[in-house]
This record gives sequence, C-alpha cells and structure tokens, in this order.
Amino acid sequence: MSYAYLFKYIIIGDTGVGKSCLLLQFTDKRFQPVHDLTIGVEFGARMITIDNKQIKLQIWDTAGQEAFRSITRSYYRGAAGALLVYDITRRETFNHLTQWLEDARQHSNSNMVIMLIGNKRQHSNSNMVIMLIGNKSDLDSRREVKREEGEAFAREHGLVFMETSAKTAANVEEAFINTAREIYEKIQEGVFDVHNEANGIKIGPQHSPSGAGLTGNPGAAGGQGGGCC
Amino acid sequence: MDYFRSVTQTVLGTPQPGHQPTGAETVERLIDRVQSSTLLEDRRDGCRALKAMSRKYRVLVGAHAMDTLTQVLEADRNDHEIVNYAIESLVNVTGPEEYPEEAEEGEEALGGPQSSALGEQFTEIFTKRRENIELLINLLDEFDFKVRYPTVKLLTNLLKNRPKDLQEVILVIPSGVSKLMDLLSDSREVIRNDTLLLLTQLTKNNTNLQKIVAFENGYDHLFEIIKGEGYADGGVVVEDCLTLMLNLLRNNPSNQTFFKEGSYIQRLTSFFTLPLDSEEGWSAQKVTNIHYMLQLVRTLVAPQNAAQTVTSCQKVMSQCGLLQALTSLLMASGVPVDILTDTISTVSDTIRGSHANQEFFTSMMAPSTPPRPAIVTLLMSMVNDKQPFILRCAVLYCFQCFLYRNQTGQAQIVQTLLPQTADASLVTAGQLLCSGLFSPDPVSNWFAAVALSHSLVDNATQKEHMLRVQLTTSVGSPPVSLMQQCMSILQAGTKVLTRFGILMLLSTWLAHSPVAVHTFLTISSAVPYLTTHVSANEHDELEMVCQGLCAFLLGLCVQFNDGSNTSFSGDSLRQLVTDRIGAETFSDKLGNISRTEAYTKAAKSPQLLAKQPSELVFDHEFCRLFKSLEVSCVRAVTPQLAGSSSTEVTPAEVTKYKDIIRDQDAEITQMREKFASFEATLSQMHKEKENLAAELQQLSDENTVLKAQQGISVKVPESTSDVPNASDERGDNESDTKGQVSSDLATLQQQLLEMTHARDYYYYEMYKKDTELTALQQQQQQSQEQEQVQQVVSTNEAKVESQQGRQNAADFFDSLSNPEMENLRKQLEDLQLVLYNKDSEIQQLKDTVSQTSVLTPPPDSQNGIQVKKICEENNEAYGINSLLEEENATLRQQIKEYEIHVKQLQTQLETSAAMAAAATAATMTKGTSADASALSRCKHLEYELDCLKREQEDLLVLVTDQESKVAEYRRKLRAYGEEVTDDEDDDEDGENFNLSDAYDDDLDELQ
Repeated sequence: MSYAYLFKYIIIGDTGVGKSCLLLQFTDKRFQPVHDLTIGVEFGARMITIDNKQIKLQIWDTAGQEAFRSITRSYYRGAAGALLVYDITRRETFNHLTQWLEDARQHSNSNMVIMLIGNKRQHSNSNMVIMLIGNKSDLDSRREVKREEGEAFAREHGLVFMETSAKTAANVEEAFINTAREIYEKIQEGVFDVHNEANGIKIGPQHSPSGAGLTGNPGAAGGQGGGCC
Repeated sequence: MDYFRSVTQTVLGTPQPGHQPTGAETVERLIDRVQSSTLLEDRRDGCRALKAMSRKYRVLVGAHAMDTLTQVLEADRNDHEIVNYAIESLVNVTGPEEYPEEAEEGEEALGGPQSSALGEQFTEIFTKRRENIELLINLLDEFDFKVRYPTVKLLTNLLKNRPKDLQEVILVIPSGVSKLMDLLSDSREVIRNDTLLLLTQLTKNNTNLQKIVAFENGYDHLFEIIKGEGYADGGVVVEDCLTLMLNLLRNNPSNQTFFKEGSYIQRLTSFFTLPLDSEEGWSAQKVTNIHYMLQLVRTLVAPQNAAQTVTSCQKVMSQCGLLQALTSLLMASGVPVDILTDTISTVSDTIRGSHANQEFFTSMMAPSTPPRPAIVTLLMSMVNDKQPFILRCAVLYCFQCFLYRNQTGQAQIVQTLLPQTADASLVTAGQLLCSGLFSPDPVSNWFAAVALSHSLVDNATQKEHMLRVQLTTSVGSPPVSLMQQCMSILQAGTKVLTRFGILMLLSTWLAHSPVAVHTFLTISSAVPYLTTHVSANEHDELEMVCQGLCAFLLGLCVQFNDGSNTSFSGDSLRQLVTDRIGAETFSDKLGNISRTEAYTKAAKSPQLLAKQPSELVFDHEFCRLFKSLEVSCVRAVTPQLAGSSSTEVTPAEVTKYKDIIRDQDAEITQMREKFASFEATLSQMHKEKENLAAELQQLSDENTVLKAQQGISVKVPESTSDVPNASDERGDNESDTKGQVSSDLATLQQQLLEMTHARDYYYYEMYKKDTELTALQQQQQQSQEQEQVQQVVSTNEAKVESQQGRQNAADFFDSLSNPEMENLRKQLEDLQLVLYNKDSEIQQLKDTVSQTSVLTPPPDSQNGIQVKKICEENNEAYGINSLLEEENATLRQQIKEYEIHVKQLQTQLETSAAMAAAATAATMTKGTSADASALSRCKHLEYELDCLKREQEDLLVLVTDQESKVAEYRRKLRAYGEEVTDDEDDDEDGENFNLSDAYDDDLDELQ
C-alpha cells in the first residue's frame, strides 16, 4: 500500500447534488439511488495511478446543508483539491457556485498567510485545485443548466470543468483523476510546497525528502516569525 | 501549577502599606485603574495586582473584573505582559479546582458556593460572548510564550467546565481547530503537552470535532510525539496522546476508516514490538501506556463496530504483523497480569470471526517444554483456580472468539473429546475442558461448560458428535456419556454456578437438535429432575434463575421433539407440564430469566464484564439463543397460554419484544442493504445486457448490410452508423466510414447494373439494325433482279440518268456514311481507352484494398471485432471490385463486339452502296424509282445511325458516371489511410489529407 503522494480532497456543493454518490461511485463503483443526508463530513479513500506513480486520494465528503456549513469550512484548509459540484437539473445549485467559491477561497488560505510569513509565493495561496462538476448528466431531459454555462463559469474562475453522472459513472473516474493530475502537475512545476501539510499533500513513506530545501523554509519556522512584531 | 502558586503567594505575601483595605475595595480600585489609566504602565500594574488577587478574592475578581480583563485583551493585545496578567487572572477565576487560600476567605466572607461550581459559573459568563472565545483563539497566533501558554490553559479550563458550549463555539470559528492543531507543532514542549490535554477535552463526545482533528493530520502528530517520547516508555505524554487518539476513534466509524485507510494500523505494530526489547521493566506508567495502546487496537475491532470495518481491520492487522506482535506479547514472560489479560482480550477481538486470524491462532505454539498449542496453554490457566479471575475470564472470551463462526475450530475441539483420538501423553483442549467440568471449583465448571457450549453453537454436526463422547469417571467402572455425566452433576446438587454452566451447555446442545433431545430423554432421571426444579418454590434470586433454566430446557425438549421417544413425546411432556407444574408457573419461571439484570448485561456485549465470580451468571451466546427461542418455547409447551397472555403485558415482556423488534429491525436493515446491493448488481447486469443487445443489434445490422452487398441487392440500408456506440468514439467513426463505403459500393453496383442493362439494350438495338441491314440487302438484291429484267427492255435510254443517280447515291454515301462512321469509331476508341483506364484504376483500387486489409492490424483486443469487421468490409470491397472489374471487362468485350458489328455494318453499307450504284448503273432508265427507294432506305439508315450515335453517347455518359463513382470510391479508400495514386482528382487532395490524418490519429490513439 505504498504511495508516492497522498492528496487530500474535499467535495463541496449544495445539498442533494450528488456529492456522496460521486464518492461512492468512485470508491466502491456502485450507485445508491436513495442516500441518507450526510451529517457533517464522511471519509473515503482510493488509490490511483498517474504517470506510473501510485497516488493515494483521501476524500472528505461534506454535508451540503447550510446547518453544517460552519463544520465543513474547517476542511477547506488542508485540502489540495476540491470538487465543487452542482446539479444540472437544478438551476439554483448553479447559482450558488459563486458563494461556494468565495467560501473555499476564503477559508483555504486565511491561516496560511500567518503560517507562511516570508514565503511570498504562498502568500496569496489559492493553489487548491478546484474541479467544477455538473452532476446528473444522465438526466439530460430535465437539464436546466447548459453545458456551455458551466464551461463559461469554469473559464471565468479558473476551474477545471466536467459534467458527470454518479448514476452511470460517466466521467466520475475522470473527474477525480484529472484533479489529481492537475495537482501533480503543480507539484512538478514547484507551485505546491509538498512539505507543508496544510497544502493537503504528503509524500509517500518511501519518497521522503529528495527535494527538501528546494522551497525555502516553510512550516514550523514560519510560525516563529509571528512573534517579532 | 506550583509555579503559579508560588508566584501568587509571593505577591500576596508582600504587605500592603497603610491600613488594611477590604478585598472588595482593592478590587474596585484596581478595576478603576485598569479602565481609566492612560498609561500602559499603570494598566499593566493594575492587571498584575488583579491577577495576584484572583485566587484569594476569586468571586470578587470574577464578578467585577471580567469585562475589564476582556477589554484589556482586546485593546492592549500588543503588550504581551498585560495580556499575560489578564489571561492568568481569568485562568484563576475559571479554575475548576479549589484554592487553599480561597477556602479560608470564602468561609469568612461568603460561606459560599463550591469553587468548582464557581469556576463553571464564571465560565458560563465568559463563554456567553462568542467573541471572547474568538479573541482567545486569535491570541494563539501570538508566538510569545507569555501569551500562548496561559491562553491554552484558559481554553482548557473553559472546556473542562462547559464542554458542550465551548465545542460548539470553537466549531464555528473559522480555522479554530486548525489553530489549536498548529500548537502541536510548537517547539516548546509545555505548550505542546498542554495542547494535548486541551484537544482531549475538545474532542470528548463530539464527532464533528473528532473528525476535524483527524483531518488536520491529528494521527500523524500523535504518532510523531509518541515515537519521539519513546513509545510505551515515554511517560505521561504518551498516555495523553493515546487518550486523545482513543477519543478520536471511539464510536467514530468515519475516523476508524480514515485510520485504516491512512495505513496507521501498520504504525501500531511498533507499539508492541518495542516495549519487549526495552530493559526498563514494567513501570506503572508503562503499564498504563500499554493498556491504552491495547485499548486502541480493541477500539478498531470491537464487536460493536460495523462488521465490514472490523473485518478489514482484522485483515490489515494480521498482514502488518500487529497480530503476531500481540501474540508474542501474550507469550512473553514477566508481563504483568492486567496487561496479559488486556492482551488476551485484544487478541480475542482481533481473531473474532476472522477465519484467517483464527487459523493463525490455532497454529500458534507456546514456548513451553514440550511446546503446546497456545490454546491449550490458555485453557490450562482458565481451569486453574489459582489464576486471577479476570485472566480466566479473558481466556474464556478468547476461546469464544476463536470458535465464533469457526466450524473448523469447533470440529477440532470436539475431535479431542472423542475416544479414538485420545492420546494419554498429550494434554488436549478436550481433556482440559472435561477436567474443568468435573473439578471441584464451581468457577472452573462454569468456564468449562460455557467453553464447551461454544463448540456447539450453530453447529448441528458437532452436537451429534458430542453425543458420542464417553468419559471414564473412575478406574474400573464402565464409561458414561458426557450428557449422562452432566445430569449426574446436576443431580448431585452442586453449587448454583456449576448448575448454571451445565444447564446452559445442555440448552445449547439440545436446541435445534432432535437427536440430542432424544438422547437426553432416554436418561431416566432427566425429566423428573427438570419438573421437580421448575415446580420448586424457592425464592432466592439465583435459584429462580436456575428454575428458569430448567424450564427452558424442558421447553426445548418439547419444541425439538421428533416423537421417537414414546414415553416422552411432545404431547405427553406438554401434559406433564400442565399437570405437574401448571402452564402459568412454567411461563412465569421462564420469564424470570430475561427479567434479571445479569441477563440484560450479558446480552449487551459478547465480552465478559464480570469482575468477580459472583457476577458470573449468563453467557452472551446463551442469551442470544434464549432470546430467539423463548417465545416459541412457551408456545410449544403451553399453547393455551400463548393467546391469553397477550392481555397482560409486563414491562419485561415489552423490553423483550422491543429487543426482538430491534433484532428484527437490524435484520431487516441488513436484508435491505443486501437487497439494495443485489438490486444494484441486477441493474448493472441489465445495463450490461442492454449494451450487449445493442452491440448485437449493431453487429447483425452490419451483417445484413454486408449480406445485402454480397447479394448485389438494390435495397441496401442507408448506413449502419445510426446504431449508438457510446463506448467508443473511434468505433463510431469507423462504422460511419464503413457505412459510407458500403453505400457507395451499393450505388456503384447499381450503376453497373444499369450500365449492363443499357449495354444489353444497345446490343439489342444493334441486332435490330443488323437484321434491318440484312433486309436492306435482300431488297437491294431484289431491285438488282428487277434491274436485270428491265435491262432487257431498255438499254440506252436511261444511261445518262442512271449514271446521274449512281453518282448521287455514291455522293450521298460518301458524304454521310463515311465520316459518321469514322466519328463513331473514334468515339468507340475513346470509350475503349476510358474503359481501359478505369480498368487499371480498379486494379489499383483492388490492390490498395487488399493492402488495407493486410495493413490494418488488430489495434487491441477490445477493438478486435471491429477491426475484423473492417477487414471483412475490405474483403467485401475487394470482391465487389473484382466483380466491377469483370463487369468492365465484359463491357469492354461487348463494346469491342459492338465495334466489330459497326464495322460490319459499315462494310455492309458500303457494299450495299456499291451494289446500289451498280444497280443504278444497270437500271439506267427505270432506276429512278429504285433509286428513290434506295434513297429513302439510306435516309432510314442515317436515322438509325443517329440513334446509334446517341446511344453511344449515353454509354459514354454512363462510363463517365462510373468513373466518377470510382473516383469517389478511391477517396473513401484514402479515408482508410491508403495511398491511392491518381492524377485526376488533385482538386480533392486537401480533403483527403484531412481524412487520412484523422484516421492516423485514431490509429495512434489506439496503439
């Protein structure tokens, strides 16, 4: 069960858009037509391969209901990737995307700035890879949000876009894997600092510090800088 | 804490100048100073003094200064010293413990409330403002020890006093938990260690916070700290880490899954491999630490967890060597008893219901001389009354777990009891159990009986085998059966604990086994013993349980009676109960069992919870059996009662039914889940079936098309590309092209067919003309004869005229026939040339098609069928091409023939013209009329020729058509990626390149 990298994901979006079903389809390859409301946050995991490297995905599936919003916010920080899901048959879930995005961007980095003083590149961190997902693509007859609209939104906000169906499993695999690929590429480009846990990335046990010291002095030392003012 | 105490004492110790103001006055003055002073120094001094008074005058400071102190935290945040004083004051005010100096003062001034209640009250006041907590959390950003450390302490105090409120507030503060988690990385150990306590308080009974802490790499942090501290030898910090980790995992399936998926179980192994190597012995702290470590393992595989999680955890544990490490700890010498007990229980949970792990346990050998199986060694301590009670309980639980859902294990145990395998030199499990059963120690009896009953649970085969067990009680006396011996023990009137054990063993034995019931009823003393006991009138609680057990056993004899025993058939037993005991007494005695506290306790969990022998009554598996059979037992024995008893419902019965309903509910849920999964599989299969059907349809469609093409049928389906093929876009493309090609081929075929028709028609016309020409010839001969007749009549007269006429005719033929014929021939030659060209093209096409079929290798197995189809198509095309070629060859042949015919026609015309000229020359005078007729004939002929010419043009058009079709066909082939050399359609090259490029791309993708 060794892996080269471990990525943490979160799945966010309005209630009932099929977040838990996406996760279930991805981890267990099955579809449950009637799914209980998620309480708080649920966990799932799977191994994938990118570039001949084993990558472990740890996925936190959050509750979409407003009541749990404060709990789920705690998971933004520390996630390398987010799957932002809406339902193509319900316009309002699409309309709420901006709010979700703001939430994600706000909470994924609020603490980061303090943690990483002196590391400018991380300063305005929104390195989190966000994949926009229009779910329930099998229900084309009841479609309320055009594919083009999703594409346009994604383009505008710098997200990756896909339409999926947790029911037929169409594009589900791709959604998770493409997100991982995006993160992987960012690591290769040196955008992500893999030694900072708050980024939601871990190096596997056998791949320990080969490129240490490459990204300056993150983490623990950064915290001490706070006391000097 | 001592540090602070000393500090405060020092401060308090300094004598106040002047007269002694009361505490209230001083606090008042200090608050005023802190609030109104403009100088930071003054405010700082005020805070320092407040802090000093916050212990002794806790009520005063708490009641009056809290707002002021909070304001200081907000306003003077940048001065770490004043913040430190303010927070320290709050720590003192909210402290849950009572201060010695406060007690003195409290008695004097207020005589007042308990200090722990005080702390809680102040906590409530402070927590009411959510902003206060947010302020504290934000203060954690300060790195300065003076700020960070007391803040952690204050938060811990608040959490201890009002956990629920605080947890809720921290949960909604953005990054609240994150900031607390960051403290675990603090390089100052004091802060890190206090953070551990803080997090333990924070995560107590709050699933959401537990999950967030786990998400924030909680496990990693904790494992790092434990490792850094030296595992079990690491002191109290390790204990704190383990407590926190237990908090995160207990009753939290999501976190348990995360623990397993995060490969943390593997890291647990090192917990148990290292302590054995260390030389430090077993300090109290180490024992505690290992105790928590074992708890951690048990939390993951507890029988109360979801079965799926337990199974996967058990698997990982055996794979990563954790089970091996635990068993070696079990076998190690010098391990303290409580740790050994815990280890046995942990191993038990790890093997429970997991066949692989149970097998591993069977194969385990104890390091004794001679080496014995670990099970035997463990059983030895179970039946040894010198061993500690809790250890013996743990061994019984271990034995139960070993046999739980393990038919092989049950068979092995029963096997050791059977006569043929008894080997005197070896100590076996069976021997030990029997010796336990008959030992004078009632606890041993109980343990051994329960252990034996577990080798019979849900296993009809072993119930029968056990009947064959014979025992030798004393030397010389004949052997008796085990069941007989059990009855003898019961009748001997032994201790109640022994009877519990034996009765439970017998109940398990008889349940669902008519053979065992039959054997039991043949024991003459059995039924009388039971009836006597059921009807006994003792009111001791334990005796009543015993009566209940007897009633249950009697009930089982009725319920599972196959009637083979004539003296005690079901009916006669029923009669016996009614007569001797009374139906109501019977059901009442039976009901006594489920009414006892011991029953409820034992039914709750499979683990043995008894702390001392007096707590031993029921076994968990027996409770399960009793619950499932109690109702049917009453119904079987007293059918007349079953109906009437519904009027009166005792609370115990309600709980019983509730239990049953709960069980059924669980079963229904399980079934439902199973059903759902089955349904999912079914729908998936349906989907697959549909896909397959669609594919089949597609294939058959294609097949039809191919067949149609083969039969050169005119009705060719337009295209096969309409058939959906979502799985493979490339497949779509291919089938598109294929469809086009096939339809093109079809049109080509049709064209050919039409051409053949045209040619036939042409041929027919030719034939007609030929016959006409023959007719003309005959007429001319006739006219010749006429002329010869006329020649006799007049020779000179018409000489000039006939000469003139002959001249005319010749002129006419010269002017008309010859150039037209020449034209015709030229056209024919052209046609021939075109046909030849086309022919060679077709030859080329044929070559390329055959190349395509050869060059298109099967890209991969999935597309194999499709490629095969393409090949077939290509072959088809090849066949059609050769057909085309043949057709063309025949066409050319026909045209050649036609040419010959035309030539013949021409020569015939010439000869006829010549003959006509001769005739005119001969006729002279009377030839005018003949000439005229010849002229009209010639005109007719001319017309015919015209027709011929037109038809030839038609043919030419058709050939051109065909040619263009061939060009199109060639283009299609290009689309397949084949090089088709032709100079005529340069203008289409651009498009062709695109097509072939796309095809190449597809090929690349496939490869």
